[in-house]
Amino acid sequence: MDLHGYAGKILWVDLSRMEIQEKELSRELVKLYLGGTGYAARILWDMLDARLDPLSPENLLIAATGPLTGTLCPSSGSIEFCFKSPLTRIFGETRAGGVFGPKLKFAGYDFIAIRGRSEKPVYLYIRDGYAELRDASHLWGKNVHETTDILLRDLAEPDASVACIGQAGENQVRFASIMVDYDRAAGRCGGGTVMGAKRLKAIVVDGHGEISAAKPEEFFEAAMEAINAVKAKANKGLGRYGTLNGLINLNESGALPTRNFKTCHFEEAEKVSGQTLSEKYLIKKRACFGCPIGCGRYVQVPAGEYQTPPHEGAEYETVDMLGVQSMIGDLEAIIKAGYLCNIYGLDTISAGNVIAFAIEAYERGIITEKDTGGIKLRWGDPKVTLTLIEKIVKREGIGRLLAEGVKRASEKLGRGSEEFACHVKGLEIPAHDARGTSKSLAIQYAVGNPRGACHIEPVWAPMWDFFKVDMGLRRYGLPWPPPSRFEETGVRRGEAYRLLILFGELAGILGICRFPLQAAEEENLNLDRLSRLMTTLTGLDLKPQDLLKVSERVYNLKRCFNVREGVDRSSDRLPRRVMEPIASGPTKGVRVENLDGMLDEFYEAMSWDRETGIPKREKLRELGLGDVAEEVWRSRQSKQEK
Amino acid sequence: MVKSLVVIPDRCMGCHLCELACSQKHYGVMSIERSRIHVVRLHHQPVDAPIFCLQCGLCMASCPVNAIERDPKTGAIIVREEKCIGCGNCVHACPYGAASLDPATGKALICDLCGGDPACVKACPVDALKYLDADQAAKYKRINFSKLQMVVK
Repeated sequence: MDLHGYAGKILWVDLSRMEIQEKELSRELVKLYLGGTGYAARILWDMLDARLDPLSPENLLIAATGPLTGTLCPSSGSIEFCFKSPLTRIFGETRAGGVFGPKLKFAGYDFIAIRGRSEKPVYLYIRDGYAELRDASHLWGKNVHETTDILLRDLAEPDASVACIGQAGENQVRFASIMVDYDRAAGRCGGGTVMGAKRLKAIVVDGHGEISAAKPEEFFEAAMEAINAVKAKANKGLGRYGTLNGLINLNESGALPTRNFKTCHFEEAEKVSGQTLSEKYLIKKRACFGCPIGCGRYVQVPAGEYQTPPHEGAEYETVDMLGVQSMIGDLEAIIKAGYLCNIYGLDTISAGNVIAFAIEAYERGIITEKDTGGIKLRWGDPKVTLTLIEKIVKREGIGRLLAEGVKRASEKLGRGSEEFACHVKGLEIPAHDARGTSKSLAIQYAVGNPRGACHIEPVWAPMWDFFKVDMGLRRYGLPWPPPSRFEETGVRRGEAYRLLILFGELAGILGICRFPLQAAEEENLNLDRLSRLMTTLTGLDLKPQDLLKVSERVYNLKRCFNVREGVDRSSDRLPRRVMEPIASGPTKGVRVENLDGMLDEFYEAMSWDRETGIPKREKLRELGLGDVAEEVWRSRQSKQEK
Repeated sequence: MVKSLVVIPDRCMGCHLCELACSQKHYGVMSIERSRIHVVRLHHQPVDAPIFCLQCGLCMASCPVNAIERDPKTGAIIVREEKCIGCGNCVHACPYGAASLDPATGKALICDLCGGDPACVKACPVDALKYLDADQAAKYKRINFSKLQMVVK
């Protein structure tokens, strides 16, 4: 089989031995997993021992592209990092846009797999089929922007792409991000923490090669048709106001998380909206590679206390988590906070979550001024947020506790703080509410597959019951019309969520952004468009149902990875705070009433065992995961015998 | 009337789709290096700009083997690949950095306006690239060149 659409190679890097090797992609694995997070999940399953310490040299960090990455398929500028997460101790995946993924393929590699730990700080340099490890002592201690500037200047290759960590990754903050092309964040799960543990400061990639399609003319036509469909979003919604576009609607719908998920309504929402950002701080729109939408905001606070240089920032998650969650309505301060997280390489979602948690703990007397070094942790005070960011990054004072993430921090503090520590499986809940947005999110967060509480990987499920958009999935069995977003059981929610995640997983597997999938079918990358693109690109016969089958295989494999780490039905829970009735606003009183009923329906739809939440043997065998089935069920059995 | 390719630079988001469309159209592969249009992003400044041939013809005289001609229909520069020896003189002559050498073949890459139907224009999702009647295009060209006189701090 001729691998069209792929570079065809994996770069294996061993930092302990300072060795680099090139290997061919496995044709067999390509057929089963296609690429991206699917192929990476199989490597991690095969190579990582269960219960491995994520910060040990044995952990693997895989940078993964997919067959569509770097092509004319809309929004193809994608890089996924997969590893065992130091924050959650389960499967970790985190994605960034920019040009890194495409450049990696143009340089001749679909994947980089990195293991070991270097004695001294190093960076990995890749150019057109050539790779070497270089000393990075001069970069250690430098922030993300400084590091990127120095590398691009010294290498005299202005078109190269840099993925690097800042001080947060170096200092082993558990939610450190990997920053790509200055401001594009692979923020979640502590990918930057893993890089820091390996003493890998940066990866520089410059590629001048090409990607070929099996049927060039048909692929070109399919891509142009898809670009024209997706570009409808460029001048409205996401393209017009960036990801902040939805903030006002979410607020009016009672779905904007506020005050550490106590409420879902913010009086000052207008002040932090996408419209306000555009009027006052937007310099221009910036797109990642291949993207007709261009949600990126090149912004600046030009003067004053919160002055920043121009940078890409102020996206929705950052604004809610670093601002609204702590009752801050000063957009300049929030932009500054996001900027600091970007240059230090800190996940804005986890940082905002843990800061709001700290303020609440202080309010309740669980943390005192003695712990904070005299700082009064108050709601709505930007100084608190900016100071805590610095302390977390430096692991200084109270920052030492908060740098561990909200799960560990609450376990250490105790005294009931676990009840308002908003995470699932250790990953901090992002800026969408499991009660106020839709109950699909309650399932999504609780199951937490693959990576804990996440709104976007594998999909933003409320597209179905909040926005009532079918994304072209109705003809593949998506229950329609969707029920009220607050109804829990008996409304085919489990079945719907199954199909939604199988669709969403495709973005990570094929190596593209999730946003072009999440729109009405006349303007999205729906299954039919993806099938046409993949078939003409790779030459493989991939009908929509075939793509869904690969997704199902991948999602179940990631679940099994997590099961091997100890996940089962008893870990598919939501923290007390997000089960309780919402305190005020349009959705006042809404709570999660029957999580177990919803889980039953979802497990049933997935053919997962109702009692344990483990994918059934027969299901795994049907997916070609017989070996995986044996291992997870055997380990389950021995666990029970103990 | 003959048409010209112009850019409305405020619209460009730096997505590179024009480059991929160009290489796909000419060579059936996706490559930003084999493209005849190049998107430049200045990270610390608000600049995302597609740089392409303005069809001035300075390169024609620089070619030692007369491999560069003008298409009488579109007014575009045409590189006769069978004649081109890859000497780089045209790349040297081009004041805009719009000409380059194909890394795969070593031959000169100069925009030929796709024979009057530019692929980059079709691929541009924000209509930053336009293929307009020369007289209309000139208005945009004047605006773009006036910006060279802008004082940038």
